[in-house]
Amino acid sequence: MAIIECREVCKSFGEKVALDHVSLEIPEGGIFGLLGPNGAGKTTLIRIINRITIPNGGDVLFKGQPITQADVEKIGYMPEERGLYRKMKVGDQVMYLAQLKGMSATAAQKALKEWFIRFGIQDWWGKKVEELSKGMAQKLQFITTVVHKPSLMILDEPFSGFDPVNADIIRKEILRLKEEGATIILSTHNMESVEELCDNIALINKSKLVLTGGVDHIRREYGNNNIEIVYTDADGRHTEVVSREKAGNEVLQSFIDKGATINSYRELMPRMNDIFIKLVTGGEAPEK
Amino acid sequence: MNLHKTGIVISREYLNKVKKKSFLITTFLVPILFAAICILPSLLMMNVKEKSQKVAVVDYSGIVMPYFESNEAAEFTDCSGEDPAVLKDELKSRGFDVLVVVSKLDSAKSVSIQTFSKKPTGVDFNSSLRVRANKAVEQYRIGTYQIAGLDQIMKDVKADVKVNEFTLDESGNATVSESGIYMIVSMILGMLIYMFIAMFGGSLMSSVIEEKSSRVVEVLVSSVKATELMFGKIIGIALVALTQFALWIILTLLLVLGASAIFGFGDMMNSADMMGMGANMGGVDMAAMAQNSEMSVIFTTLSHIPWGTLIISFFIFFILGYLLYASMYAAIGSAVENEADTQQLQLPVTIPLMLAFFIVFFAFKNPESAVVWWGSMIPFTSPIVMLARIPYGVPIWEIIVSVALLFITFVVMAWASAKIYKAGILMFGKKSTWADLWKWLKQK
Repeated sequence: MAIIECREVCKSFGEKVALDHVSLEIPEGGIFGLLGPNGAGKTTLIRIINRITIPNGGDVLFKGQPITQADVEKIGYMPEERGLYRKMKVGDQVMYLAQLKGMSATAAQKALKEWFIRFGIQDWWGKKVEELSKGMAQKLQFITTVVHKPSLMILDEPFSGFDPVNADIIRKEILRLKEEGATIILSTHNMESVEELCDNIALINKSKLVLTGGVDHIRREYGNNNIEIVYTDADGRHTEVVSREKAGNEVLQSFIDKGATINSYRELMPRMNDIFIKLVTGGEAPEK
Repeated sequence: MNLHKTGIVISREYLNKVKKKSFLITTFLVPILFAAICILPSLLMMNVKEKSQKVAVVDYSGIVMPYFESNEAAEFTDCSGEDPAVLKDELKSRGFDVLVVVSKLDSAKSVSIQTFSKKPTGVDFNSSLRVRANKAVEQYRIGTYQIAGLDQIMKDVKADVKVNEFTLDESGNATVSESGIYMIVSMILGMLIYMFIAMFGGSLMSSVIEEKSSRVVEVLVSSVKATELMFGKIIGIALVALTQFALWIILTLLLVLGASAIFGFGDMMNSADMMGMGANMGGVDMAAMAQNSEMSVIFTTLSHIPWGTLIISFFIFFILGYLLYASMYAAIGSAVENEADTQQLQLPVTIPLMLAFFIVFFAFKNPESAVVWWGSMIPFTSPIVMLARIPYGVPIWEIIVSVALLFITFVVMAWASAKIYKAGILMFGKKSTWADLWKWLKQK
């Protein structure tokens, strides 16, 4: 069942159309990549799901029911434009944000302490945010997003601003939360992380939904259907690429007959990055 | 509106402001300033009294010296037989501060006075010398006419005309009044409201800008609705204002009472009487009496100011005026990312505020003029101008109409501001103009 379902969602700001009849389903559990170039309408869609922005038309369903303000408390949102009160103490700040998400003071305190221990940052509690480095502040930001155990997390460019070490910590946390059954919407430009993390994606371009589906399925769909065969014969190691139609036992047999040893046989999948660029610069989605 | 979450916003806003150093500093400094204004003049007067001048007098005329009676301010010693030139040199060694030389009576039956001292003697001292010498010369001249029963005649002709001002109330009863008192009270109230609105409205605007420039705002509005956030902030700061105001009153009273306990209340009252300069020095008893009756007029006037109406109105107009301006400040704050960008946007808010301020100055001279009347009715100036009018007495229906207009305007303005705020806080990276605000207002 879809945790979020958008039906014909439209939004315009004056003359400018931000979302044009976007319909998509985000399945419960797993990581969902929301892709698209800058200004495509991703942030607007995320804000509509969070009920920050009210759509001009269409519906957003949360587990099959029209989404309510109470449902939003089950969402953890880390916006792209994010930050914390610079002059406020870390402890006061995370308590405030957790309580705004509907946690009681005692529950918030307990959960936050656990997170602080997990990240090894217990001694930050009494510091002011302005004393922290940018990476440290980002960690805090992540904690405030997930502390209320949301069943849906929306992370807009979660890795921007992190150094590789901290980015890896966050990546592992995201995977751990997924293991625990949470649904994560990841909006990002980083196609490598999409290949690595996402189960499903949606691509939005020029306020329209261009493509949605499983990552593996899409990669296969947009591939050239080529097979790469690596073999060794008397002359040494060779690599040969053949189209999928030709590939098969006969091709392999022909190599074996020549006396070659097959080292590997694998399907060549296009990189998400290439699919992204192709779809965004090519305009319309190719016919399936 | 989710009251629980609005409450969380209110308490953060409140605690955050109240814990700030700047809040503590203004909370404690202002009462010290107020108390100083109340106490210092009395303390200064007490000091003046303690340091009386020792004066040596050489009177060649022979008529002035009897009028130089020693008092708290000056101690006169008759040195008429001595040589002024020698005295000048020995002034300090003989313990005198000032040497006064009165000339012989000239052909016009007058005298002239010269004073010699190390330090300037001061205006008060000189004028008291003149007053006394004039009196001596006048008495001498009258004496030369040889009129029988002169003393009695002088007593009979002595005049002291007073202007007693009365104001008529609805039922035609006359009450003693003093327009100066009304002016001062109305001025102070107008200023206070102006100051509070500008100060706490500005403080709200910075708080809105802070959330936007630190980028915390989008995290917030994913947990709490933009309108809840805005009103939470507005109410939080209103509570800060009321707290500060209450602390100011309490601390000022404590300081004034504490100071008068230390220095003695009676002394302070005495020295307050002395504030009528030269009244004691001139030895004119009538002046002191006039002073007393003037004090009683001040007290009657003060007692005729409708204090109940005034205090209730002060809070109503302060709260509504603050709410009206605060919602405008919130809308402006939502449109910018740093304070420097607010100047252009702020103009339409500061202009009516300044206008109200000037109308109060005008009300000072002309409380019954049409400008002042309209100023006290039009919502953007009414909180300030009406407060300035109330000490002069305003029919209750006018106050009610003014409050009602103010309230309606606030509701409309709050609705418009909430729309602008909702759109504005999520606009990053662009300097907004009034055209943008208008666009956001019209957005569905």
